[in-house]
Amino acid sequence: MQTQAAQQGQDAAVRSEPILSVRAVHKTYKLGRVKVPVLHGVNLDVAQGEWVTILGASGSGKSTLLHLMGGLDRPDRKPESPASVRFRDRELTKESKRALDRYRADDIGFVFQFYHLLPELSVLQNVTVGGMIKYGRLGYRTHRKEIVDRASGLLDRFGLSHRLKHRPAELSGGERQRVAIARALINEPSLLLADEPTGNLDLKTGESILDAIIEHRRDAGLTLVMVTHDERIAARSDRVIRLADGRIEKT
Amino acid sequence: MPMLAMAAVMLSVATILITWSVMGGFLKTLIASGKTLVGDVAIVWPNVGFAYYDDLIERLEADELIESASPTVETFGLIKLPDNRIELISIKGIEISSYSDVTGFADTLWWKPIDKPTAKDHQGEDIRLEPGYAELLDQVEHNGQTMTRKNRITGETEPAGVMGIEVTGLNYRTAWGGYYPLTPSRAMPDGTTQRLETFMPRDGSVGLTILALDSTGRPIDPVTQTIPIANEFQSGLYEVDAGTIYVPLDMLQRMLRLDEAKKVERVRDTDNPFDVEIDPVTGQVLGPKMREEIGIDPARVTTVLVRGVDGTELEEIRKRVHEIYNEFALAHPGEVPDAFNMEGQVKTWEDLNRTMISAVKKETGLVLFIFGIVSFTTVFLVLAIFWSMATEKTKDIGVLRALGASTPGIAWLWIRYGASIGIVGSVIGTGLGYWIVSDINAIHDWMGRAFGLVIWDPRQYYFVEIPSEVDPSKAAIVFVIGMLTCVLGALIPALHSARMDPVKALRFE
Repeated sequence: MQTQAAQQGQDAAVRSEPILSVRAVHKTYKLGRVKVPVLHGVNLDVAQGEWVTILGASGSGKSTLLHLMGGLDRPDRKPESPASVRFRDRELTKESKRALDRYRADDIGFVFQFYHLLPELSVLQNVTVGGMIKYGRLGYRTHRKEIVDRASGLLDRFGLSHRLKHRPAELSGGERQRVAIARALINEPSLLLADEPTGNLDLKTGESILDAIIEHRRDAGLTLVMVTHDERIAARSDRVIRLADGRIEKT
Repeated sequence: MPMLAMAAVMLSVATILITWSVMGGFLKTLIASGKTLVGDVAIVWPNVGFAYYDDLIERLEADELIESASPTVETFGLIKLPDNRIELISIKGIEISSYSDVTGFADTLWWKPIDKPTAKDHQGEDIRLEPGYAELLDQVEHNGQTMTRKNRITGETEPAGVMGIEVTGLNYRTAWGGYYPLTPSRAMPDGTTQRLETFMPRDGSVGLTILALDSTGRPIDPVTQTIPIANEFQSGLYEVDAGTIYVPLDMLQRMLRLDEAKKVERVRDTDNPFDVEIDPVTGQVLGPKMREEIGIDPARVTTVLVRGVDGTELEEIRKRVHEIYNEFALAHPGEVPDAFNMEGQVKTWEDLNRTMISAVKKETGLVLFIFGIVSFTTVFLVLAIFWSMATEKTKDIGVLRALGASTPGIAWLWIRYGASIGIVGSVIGTGLGYWIVSDINAIHDWMGRAFGLVIWDPRQYYFVEIPSEVDPSKAAIVFVIGMLTCVLGALIPALHSARMDPVKALRFE
């Protein structure tokens, strides 16, 4: 059963143009001499402000698809049916590495299942590191106050204002994931790519994390693509894509 | 792991700084000792020497760049020691007053009363400190300063020599770098033993044998003379102290026939070809009639040592001395070596000690090279540590790439990390090296007391103390090298990290 908010989001998505468009995407990995095909001609549109959930079993290609959308990886080159990953009016498959770096820094936020916080940095530093990457070392000096204020605001919103100087090792799993989400949102991205963000958390904590993401998405008009194998989470999203053996089964 | 890399850099920096400082200090001390015996510049005309040196010295001392000058005669000969050994020795004839003005020779006299123990004589064992010897040592010091000694049998004051403290081999060098005379005995043919006098300045004498040369440099005949010893000196150069004796200038001039002498020449007495000399016995004509003409052959010296005014560049003094010699040679045409021949004979103290300085410089370079190679392994150590760190941080690198960090950005991150570790390691290493070098003698003494480990034994090394000065420019060079070493070691892991596939990095287990 979809919530009212999700229904509103779905309606908005139907009305708007796709922010992200994936066409004829194939991806094969090499494991030694063995070629392992992961994606087989995936097509997908994600509308502005939409929340799309990608469901699938382990090894179905969910994370690979997410990485391709985030410009972390490139699809296979197939001259007979060229792949396309389009973000707004940019064709990502034709962009340089540097341009993809900028794309990730400016337009994308990544959230991972295992948080991936930098253990040597404090909570606040883990969040501001995204700002440092976006503005560079010198630019960060100019924007430092603005970035720190925004990071503090996000952490406050996620109930972590009392944990700013703590190290990740001193936080619970739920708190770490909140920090990871705040880090993903620090540069105000248009698209949040979340790879099983609640997969490592208990049910209650996972729900609270999801609520935090949904609340921010609603306020900021964020587009969300979430990979999960949890049907209950999928039920709350605008649209569900099922991926099996590298192919989309049903939308 | 960063601490390990830092420790590697720190130890490497400290090791090189200590080695360089100690070897550099050793060279500096050696050079200073070499200068002590030569002054700044020497005018050298070996073997036959040159005349009118008083005029030359007067001209030199009249110049504003020259502080003082002193005539010397240098030659080699044989010395017969108290135990009848005969050794080759360098003999220098000096006027002690002017020689001390130029070289500070009087300060090198060893046997003299002292007020406080030398640096390593912590127990105050130096016999020169003992009040009971003060009167004797006062007399001996005076003897050394005047190069004379009173003959205890005749009561006459005689000219005496000052020889290097190591010449006889009978002065025992202590662990704290001092001396006391041994008291060996000698077996006699009649089965008795004879105690040798080894405190040379009291009653000791040596026999000197030299080969005199005529004014053209041809050997005349060997001359032997017994000379009492007024005192012994320690210059700081073992080769000098084990192979040099100073004697009064006029004595050596006489022995070498370099002193002022009447010159007798037979010249033709008449222009009349029929005015001849006839042998009164045989009645044979011997040749044209000759007469004897008597002149003065002036005294000669082989070297004039010059000391410049403090603060004057050495080369400037050398040039000025050469100019003055030119004027001197023009004033004595045909009687002294001309200025052209003297071009290469006006030498600085560095020129005179070049062989010794060069040897120590090469030794220093070699030691530094070896330590440099050893320290270069730090690069590989840092590389291994950083490689391990980069592997450990693979996932973090993947995260940073996911956040938009660029390839050069990741590389720069590691290089900066390497540089930071290099800076901290080098700062601590430089500080550690500085501290060790500054207190190296105290540390060395403590090691000797605590572990019986004596690396710098004054009985083997000629300087009593290990040189303990750190040259700031050397410290700066070592600091920069330490930092670059770390950056170099971090470079390959940095490039490896930067080129890592972000997806593989994120999936790294």
